[in-house]
Amino acid sequence: MNNFIDFSIPQRQSLLGILVMFVNTLQKIVRAMWPILLIWLVKIDSHNKLFIYGGIFAFVVIIAVISYLQYYFFTFHIDKENGEFVIQKGILNKTRITIQLHKIQQVNINQSLIQRFINVYKLEIDTAGSDKKEASISAISHELATILKEQLINQSNNNNYIHQVDDTTELSSTLIKISLFSLIKIGFTSNYVKSFALLLLFFSTIMENLRQVSDSAQIREDQVTNYLDKLPMLTSIAIVLGSIVGLVLVVNLVRTVIKYFDFTIQKSKQSILLSYGLLATKNTLINPDKVQKIIITQNFFQKKLDIITIKIHQASSNAEQVNDKDKIEIPGCSQIEHDKILKLILEQLPEKEVCLLPNWRKFALNFVFLSVFPVFIFFLIQYYTLFISWTIFFIYTSLFFVFSTLMIYFSFRNYKLFVSKKFIVQNEGAWDVDTSIILSSKIQAITTQQFFWQKRTNIGSVTLSTAGGNINFTTGNYSEIKELVNYWLFQVENSNKNWM
Amino acid sequence: MIKFTNETIDINELPNFEEVQLNQLQSKYFNVIAINLSLFNFLILMLFFVISYFKSDFFSNRVWMIMGAFIGAMIFLSFFLAKLSFNKKGYAFRTHDAIYKEGLISETTTIIPFNRVQHVALHQGFISRKLGLASIELFTAGGSSSDLKIPGILLEDAQKIKNLVSKKINPEASDELHKVDQNNLE
Repeated sequence: MNNFIDFSIPQRQSLLGILVMFVNTLQKIVRAMWPILLIWLVKIDSHNKLFIYGGIFAFVVIIAVISYLQYYFFTFHIDKENGEFVIQKGILNKTRITIQLHKIQQVNINQSLIQRFINVYKLEIDTAGSDKKEASISAISHELATILKEQLINQSNNNNYIHQVDDTTELSSTLIKISLFSLIKIGFTSNYVKSFALLLLFFSTIMENLRQVSDSAQIREDQVTNYLDKLPMLTSIAIVLGSIVGLVLVVNLVRTVIKYFDFTIQKSKQSILLSYGLLATKNTLINPDKVQKIIITQNFFQKKLDIITIKIHQASSNAEQVNDKDKIEIPGCSQIEHDKILKLILEQLPEKEVCLLPNWRKFALNFVFLSVFPVFIFFLIQYYTLFISWTIFFIYTSLFFVFSTLMIYFSFRNYKLFVSKKFIVQNEGAWDVDTSIILSSKIQAITTQQFFWQKRTNIGSVTLSTAGGNINFTTGNYSEIKELVNYWLFQVENSNKNWM
Repeated sequence: MIKFTNETIDINELPNFEEVQLNQLQSKYFNVIAINLSLFNFLILMLFFVISYFKSDFFSNRVWMIMGAFIGAMIFLSFFLAKLSFNKKGYAFRTHDAIYKEGLISETTTIIPFNRVQHVALHQGFISRKLGLASIELFTAGGSSSDLKIPGILLEDAQKIKNLVSKKINPEASDELHKVDQNNLE
């Protein structure tokens, strides 16, 4: 290999990196000051043109100078004597990051959108015992990056932790890409609540800033309400609701596409690498051995549109609690993509051999407590207080009754446990149907449970614990469950398979 | 490693966890439960007396009497239930797993295979130490939902069990150490 570059001398980034830094700084400033900038933009007419353009020019120059200084002071080198990789940066506050080479777990090379334009790469270093990316070099040529990566890995060769991850240019054969079309479908069918909250935050921030700038906002608000008042009531409600729904959908769509653009799943020797993002590429690593539980979610609409959400729970790195970092979400994919992903992680699609169904008493109990009982309470309240007319009462209660009964019925019908030689699959949910999959070899504790009144009817529950979450099945045939427990214990206790 | 080929397994032939003869907790351990319960009941009783003494005009004397009788009955009942649920508790250590059963209203049985135990700990509370008792705690990976604690075991027994379980876990650990050593040598 042509390792002619001596990394023991401090190196700078690629000169084009100034551009990356420029964009990053600009993004940071805009993100921090967007409400004020937006108001400026709106009021652009009322200011002196010269003042505005002068301001923008000064702004750009200042950021450019900052970027150059950032570039100038950012150096990195390998300290061979101490076995460390050193990054020095900072204009006024000097930072020196040292990473011991033997702790380096993986070196990633990838590109974001801007980096793609100017053909530089980002190099990220992951270490053991840390959640976040320890160090990153944001602009480096591909040649230099590969050599540096090679050297870093060679230097840390004496540890067995290292995972070699293929970089973006060497695409391996087992590669799954989630199409833009899938992403658009996801944008339309999920995460409404989150987008709505974001929208609310957005408008309240704008309103707040407008008020601070002037009182004219008050007048605008009045104009809007006046305009709506003139229209018939139903039309104005439709306009308001329609614009809210439309905005939420658009925001949802844009967010999903930006966040998950170009979602790629790659398999390398030991691990699976997920990378996604339009503006900034994010990388997540999955170790198939560490995967404990997979949850697949789909509702009725999503089924018609052929999209599925997959959540992957890995064995928790933290003994005390389950980290969010160990839960990875694949926002959505089609049935075919879903099959491929499952095959990648589990090596095969889970088969369903034995099916356990809940006892009819589960339906009866839920029906009585969640459907009949509330109606009875409403009736009592209505009978004694007469707070609404009987017709309205009748309409509401029958609506509630039908709705809740349907929900209970669907959740009962979907509630199933499938057991095969290798897999345990559980279905549950009324609207969003969750399918949880665990490998029976990953069970680490089994709990069976039975209420004393269930003894006569031979009903009981079972909870299967893994290092990444539980599977719970209630009101099943207890003797069947106990037989299965014996079988699972036999499987776990007879295998020495790597389970974490 | 033994090659395991066994395609058709007769589920009925497998060892049944339900048929395992469970060991009762040491009867001394009920004293620990009783003392803890007494402390709690005593506090409630004191609270009741303090309120009834200083705020006696809240209710009529008759109501106070009924409430007192009710609390007395509850205290009696709590001891009775504690005894019943104590009798229900049981544990067993098989060759490959630990079983713990408890619960009066809801009967739960927890089973943890030894090859999934991360580490094992021995605990002694203040009162337990005086009575020569200890509890064994088996920890599994990822969260505390599947950890198992077995109380009311004689200290000597507990130590034996701890050593036994440690030995069951250890072979793997020493293997791993061995592997690391080899890697370092290369």
